[in-house]
Amino acid sequence: MSSVAEAPYFNISDPKFAMHSEEVRNAREQSWYARTNYGIAVLRYNQVSQLLKDQRLSQGSGQWPAHNGVHSGLFYDWWTTCLLVLEGEDHHRIRRLVNPAFSPRHIEPLIPRFEALAEELVEAYASSGRCEFVADFAEPYATRVLCILLGIPESEWPTIARLASTIGLALGITITEELPTIEEALGELYEYAEALIRDRQQNPKDDFITRLVEANKDGDALSDAELRNALVLMIFGGMDTTRNQLGLGMQSFLHNPAQWALLGEKPELGRAATEEVMRTNPTTTWVTREAAVTFEYEGLTIEKGTTVHLFTQTSGTDPMAFPDPEMDIEGEHKPHYGFGGGIHHCLGHFVARADMSVAYPILARRMKDIRLGGVDEWLPDSGNTGPVRLPLTFTPAP
Amino acid sequence: MKIHVDRTLCDNHGQCTITAPSVFRIDDQGILQYEENVDDSLRADIEDSMDVCPVQAIFIVTED
Ligand code: HEM
Ligand code: SF4
Repeated sequence: MSSVAEAPYFNISDPKFAMHSEEVRNAREQSWYARTNYGIAVLRYNQVSQLLKDQRLSQGSGQWPAHNGVHSGLFYDWWTTCLLVLEGEDHHRIRRLVNPAFSPRHIEPLIPRFEALAEELVEAYASSGRCEFVADFAEPYATRVLCILLGIPESEWPTIARLASTIGLALGITITEELPTIEEALGELYEYAEALIRDRQQNPKDDFITRLVEANKDGDALSDAELRNALVLMIFGGMDTTRNQLGLGMQSFLHNPAQWALLGEKPELGRAATEEVMRTNPTTTWVTREAAVTFEYEGLTIEKGTTVHLFTQTSGTDPMAFPDPEMDIEGEHKPHYGFGGGIHHCLGHFVARADMSVAYPILARRMKDIRLGGVDEWLPDSGNTGPVRLPLTFTPAP
Repeated sequence: MKIHVDRTLCDNHGQCTITAPSVFRIDDQGILQYEENVDDSLRADIEDSMDVCPVQAIFIVTED
């Protein structure tokens, strides 16, 4: 590759743009990056791994509302002060205070509840030999896991799911039209979060919210508003991602029936299955960064302000890093970047890893020989993907 | 107190540098550097770093 003009080009906003395509594979073979209609896309494993952690790139999502003409209001204030878009010491301070509540030590005791939940949801439809996977499993599972974590009554999951999805509209191009609805939902979620905080301040328990309420590092603590904003970010960042990732996993296993059968027999492969699904079929198709300074990287001048998309699926299946890139739940593989990486590495990954590692083997045991059972419907491959509808048929098993 | 980072696991995310900046840092090459001998007063910070490391690569070496 000698000049930028020769680098491959993708229109990543085109709804037909596909990560799993010949076009993208060829581009990755030809060049470590591609030009796009909105900045550059990094395609290979080594470069994604390095740039994800490179301090010369900053979080690219902070300007999203402003780029779409939203400069003030409830949503703007929440977004521009939430952990995801904060940088430097402002980011680190919040992260230091919330990290300990996400320690694997505190997440592990929740695993039996995740198991019981997965069993309950499958049991409800298993005997019929068919389901609509998103509505029957992925959505209630993802939402109720968050309810369990946050101590919200599980029966309220449909409300939480609706509010989180409404706020999710803020990431779409219709943000301006939807703003009043988005802000109403955000206001409602604030009330949930504030009630939880007040309750644990008055009645501390041995639970996740109490740990956050009591979090204190060298005399510094989260204000009520900071904690409320963080809780809403957890719901926002933890629900659609988990729902979509579970559905993508089913898609992967539809294409790999032998791996599904194996998982049904060996539940201890649940964690490996989760990692392999996320390496080869991640919901977060790219992580967005922005050049904070102009710098040279591998012969390319990246100008300050350039948007840099770090592609997760192409890096996770890059033959230069994975000589045999096909999904293999019994193989040894390098780490994937489906949870991002560096300073903004997903805060909730121990939770997500635990809940998916529990769910897949239970599904594989109860739902043998899965097949597509109707018309499926998908989100585009831009940014965050997954099934909207995924009808499945299967042979029920105990 | 002596600490050890398993380099075969560490992926240089730098989450440990947020928790215990006086012990861990990411160098100009993007590689983790750290102090092996750490004052016992930093134990709580080290334990937070161990917890937060996404690949669980940090260990306190117990001498016997
Ligand atoms: C399969 C499920 C999940 C996936 C695929 C996922 C993916 C990601 C990714 C890629 C990032 C990095 C974003 C960036 O650097 O721009 C991230 C950050 C984050 N995630 Fe997750 N996530 C999942 C589940 C969760 C859960 C369950 C929670 C909370 C309970 C959560 C909370 C967060 C938060 C708060 C951040 C921002 C961290 C920071 O900026 O320091 N995520 N997630
Ligand atoms: S947090 Fe873990 S992976 Fe990241 S630099 Fe520290 S030891 Fe390495």
